[in-house]
Amino acid sequence: MHLITLLKFFLNMDDLYKEIILDRYKNPHNLGTISGGIKVEEVNALCGDKIKIWLEVKNGIITDAKFEGSGCAISVAATDILMDMIKGKKVADVQQMSGAEIESQIGIELSSVRKRCAYIGLEAIKKIKDSLNNL
Amino acid sequence: MKNNFPIFQNNPDLVYLDSAATSLKPAPVILSEMEYYIKYSANIHRGLYQMSQIASDQYDQSRQIIADFINSQSNEIIFTSGTTASINLVAQTWGQQNIKSGDEIIITQMEHHSNLVPWQQLAKTKKAKLKYLPVTSDFLLDQKSLLKLITSKTKIVALAHVSNVLGTINPIKKIVQTIKKINPKTLVLVDGAQSVAHFPVDVVDLGVDFYAFSGHKLYGPTGIGVLYINQKIYSSMSPTSFGGGAIKEVFWHKTILGNPPFCYEPGTPPIAQAIALSQAIKFIQKIGWPKIIQQEQDLTNYLFQKLKTISDLKILGPTKSDQRLGVISFAFTKPKSPTPHDIGDILSQKFNIAVRTGFHCAMPLHQLFGFTTGTTRVSLGIYNTQKDIDKLIDALNHVIKIFS
Ligand SMILES: Cc1ncc(COP(=O)(O)O)c(C=O)c1O
Repeated sequence: MHLITLLKFFLNMDDLYKEIILDRYKNPHNLGTISGGIKVEEVNALCGDKIKIWLEVKNGIITDAKFEGSGCAISVAATDILMDMIKGKKVADVQQMSGAEIESQIGIELSSVRKRCAYIGLEAIKKIKDSLNNL
Repeated sequence: MKNNFPIFQNNPDLVYLDSAATSLKPAPVILSEMEYYIKYSANIHRGLYQMSQIASDQYDQSRQIIADFINSQSNEIIFTSGTTASINLVAQTWGQQNIKSGDEIIITQMEHHSNLVPWQQLAKTKKAKLKYLPVTSDFLLDQKSLLKLITSKTKIVALAHVSNVLGTINPIKKIVQTIKKINPKTLVLVDGAQSVAHFPVDVVDLGVDFYAFSGHKLYGPTGIGVLYINQKIYSSMSPTSFGGGAIKEVFWHKTILGNPPFCYEPGTPPIAQAIALSQAIKFIQKIGWPKIIQQEQDLTNYLFQKLKTISDLKILGPTKSDQRLGVISFAFTKPKSPTPHDIGDILSQKFNIAVRTGFHCAMPLHQLFGFTTGTTRVSLGIYNTQKDIDKLIDALNHVIKIFS
């Protein structure tokens, strides 16, 4: 880790808006759509987050994942991180994932309100459980 | 002023800028509610013992104080649980009994969901037509369109006195005159949730038929609200909810209902809350309207000026101070800016500033103006100071720095 980044990290340890969140919010790695992919959506009425996710699934394994949407920094960053986490995973395993796994990946503890932002991508994916199983 | 609000003793650094959601409570209101429970905690209009009589007297007096507060008669004041319940009561009684297939209901594009969904659902069940009065690009009601919207089939127009998102004060008296000139039979319901705490309301002068408001936005308790019904309307409606306290005589197969307002208040009411609400009104009257209006207007202007110094920030709502109240919603316009949810969280966590974020129960309105992730709303009460605004502006600049 860069020295400055490291310093910033320690100075803002308890800060929700760590580098990882802001980086991913401004420059998400997995933005886009997948034509022919499975599409799911989820909204968080409380703050107006709206996320669409596309998954490419082969033999029950997620080979690619992309998303689009508007939302707060936490929801966008967490969904982007989630896309990284689920690639190469078995659909069945993703179905069993808990929100806490996303949180530990981000490395911060979230308040109950912000949990709903961070989990929005996972909630969307859980909605397509059945159709995924049929592939 | 903050001394009158005990919450600041427990949260001395709190910057409370969410009075449009609910206002803080002054000591006399809190004490009044407590007094009922520790001194005369009895049901009303039932017992002959002294405690019950005190409670009944206090409760009746409170209704009179509230009636006077909006220049009405006490039999025109129905206690409900809040604005939402008041509007639903009208939709479910008068609406159900008077709206027919093909009739028209008119509401505006700036309504809170509480004054939108009850009419939308009523229109659906009755096969009536729901029409919207548009909001102009300068955030005012389009009064010209009103002339075209009202027809012989328009049964009711329901609109807010003050928008909980835009802060716009709607010219109710003029609007009522316009409506009644075109169709004298059209009734007008006004949602007064955001008005009654900020300027005097005179239902007779306004010429409205129904006026709804909540106690908790008026420095009073939660769980209590008011529905004013012009007594001339009573003959065209009847209750749909029944029980004790609301009837004169009951036989095995028939009931003689009590007179209004009692027949619309079956069951034990929120006694402590109703009594404490009159204390909130007395509190406001003690400070006096001129002072409240002046202070809030000065502070709103100050807030406006300060917000304008922040770049890329778009404010929703009229700029002229005589057209608006201290309810200001805003959002950053550039992509990758902090969204309202991020702003609200940082303001709370780092600065102990309470603001509202999201759609403020007015989702279609936000979409109309293209604010798809909602707005941040700052709303003022009589306890707010310039220092609160300064702290808010510093905090907003800090948020911008984090995201830059
Ligand atoms: C304009 C307006 N109407 C209705 C309501 C609903 O009030 P309550 O939740 O007290 O019933 C509110 C408050 O959120 C409001 O601002």
